[in-house]
Amino acid sequence: MTWEEFIYFAIASVLLWAVGAWAAWKEKTAVAYTSTIAGLAIFFSFILMMWISLERPPLRTMGETRLWYSFFLPMAGIIVYSRWKYKWILSFSTVLALVFICVNLFKPEIHSKTLMPALQSPWFAPHVIVYMFAYAVLGASAVMALYLLCFKKGKVADEEYEITDNLVYVGLAFMTIGMLFGALWAKEAWGHYWSWDPKETWAAITWFAYLVYIHYRQLPQQKPRLALWLLILSFILLQMCWWGINYLPAAQGSSVHTYST
Amino acid sequence: MWTKPWTMKEGFVIGGGLIFAGLMLELSVGPVVWEAFAWPVNGIVLAGFLAVIAVIFLLRKRVYAFRFIGTYQAAIPTLVYAVLLTIIMGLTRQTENGTWLNNMLAFWPFVLIYVYMTVILGVTILRRIVNCQLSTASLKRDIPFLLNHLGLFLAMTTATLGNADMQRLKMITVVGEPEWRAVAQNGAIRAMPLAIELKQFIMETYDDGSPKRFASEIQILTKSGKKMETTVDVNKPVEVDGWKIYQYGYDTQMGAMSQISILELVSDPWLPLVYTGIYMMLAGAVCMFVMGRREGVRREGGKEI
Repeated sequence: MTWEEFIYFAIASVLLWAVGAWAAWKEKTAVAYTSTIAGLAIFFSFILMMWISLERPPLRTMGETRLWYSFFLPMAGIIVYSRWKYKWILSFSTVLALVFICVNLFKPEIHSKTLMPALQSPWFAPHVIVYMFAYAVLGASAVMALYLLCFKKGKVADEEYEITDNLVYVGLAFMTIGMLFGALWAKEAWGHYWSWDPKETWAAITWFAYLVYIHYRQLPQQKPRLALWLLILSFILLQMCWWGINYLPAAQGSSVHTYST
Repeated sequence: MWTKPWTMKEGFVIGGGLIFAGLMLELSVGPVVWEAFAWPVNGIVLAGFLAVIAVIFLLRKRVYAFRFIGTYQAAIPTLVYAVLLTIIMGLTRQTENGTWLNNMLAFWPFVLIYVYMTVILGVTILRRIVNCQLSTASLKRDIPFLLNHLGLFLAMTTATLGNADMQRLKMITVVGEPEWRAVAQNGAIRAMPLAIELKQFIMETYDDGSPKRFASEIQILTKSGKKMETTVDVNKPVEVDGWKIYQYGYDTQMGAMSQISILELVSDPWLPLVYTGIYMMLAGAVCMFVMGRREGVRREGGKEI
């Protein structure tokens, strides 16, 4: 399996996800589930075959992490849908997944077979996969915040704030797990669980930023719109952690998290 | 300002005051000297720190400022300051011998804000424990709360204070020659409680020449009389008598033919405490995912966390 075949799997998956999203709007719950899950299965089979043909987990390059991100967005969508029955969530996760699929189609990166010894660890897959899932859910919360701030007409309902809260709780839970898995792995790989490497520093920033949101939302008197802006700001900080540091002068040459050779 | 009840404004002023005090300290006594915290100093500091938190907690009804420490209005501004200072850290190049912003970990304002955050954590944890009731509803709220907050408190305090006791040394092992000396980070040579003899250095490469595996087949002899043969791989350290042994380097000019292997020996006596904190936070995160917002957190009749 190579990236040449990616487009066929991508088209099939996106079509199925789109049908699922449409069914959710029409309140055809069964169709929404089946179609979305079928799309996920097709997309995951591509990831799996990439995994087998690369002889290593496809988690090393940015393009490969985008692959997981595109997979986790609809997956997070269907989980949120099953739990809270928001009928818009599947449309939204499908559009986001499509964006990342397009990035991978138009700007694929070099995907060689090699996996350097530093990445050969049982922690590798859970660390990155859990993080990608967290990013997907937190991305959903950021878009929700953007929608409520800029496009929603009229007053924002308490229920809508609760949606963003729930997304942040799930996202932050996964982010915490990803970060701590990273710490446990770092101890095995580099001898210390936390070294304030630029990636770690920005992970801490992102983590604390979401904690600001969560604690702010506990205040009895608060400005809800400010809370939504906090979410967008936190997601911008998250981008810095995810890929921004690759372009940050202060982080050049000092991060052990750079694996592009 | 300063009319009770205090709001986030007062919280921000207090945090700003701490940053100002930190700047004064940085100017007058220079950066924080973390090496000075080696055992038993860190043990004493930890005991003193816990005592201070207990006193703040016990006097909370008499001293308003102490009561304020346990509120969201104190916690949120402190978190914001922590985010801002850490962003500065993330945007500036950090070096061990740097000063001010270039060595944030030893920069007083940064340290004071994080210490204050830990005090706030400590006070809220104590109150939660005291108020905890043995009912399902209470435990369902309090156990996840304690896992998250106490876990973070434990991990942060013990990781920071224990850092001075961590030893990281490089040992250059040569094929066929038992070695017991290692080089500390400051360049000093130390005799170790164990000797390592390199049997063979292993380097494997992929077809394109990029590295696939670095490992050392070694024999270890400890002062306590243990003798073992084992292999140290990247990502697979070996543990013996409280020391973790890591594959660190080799003779890059010789490549796969290298007759030496550089191993790193790490001892961190505080690790079990830090790991307890980390595992508590992991359990707390699972609770957070399972329970979501509604059941997991309560709004406790007003401002206190």
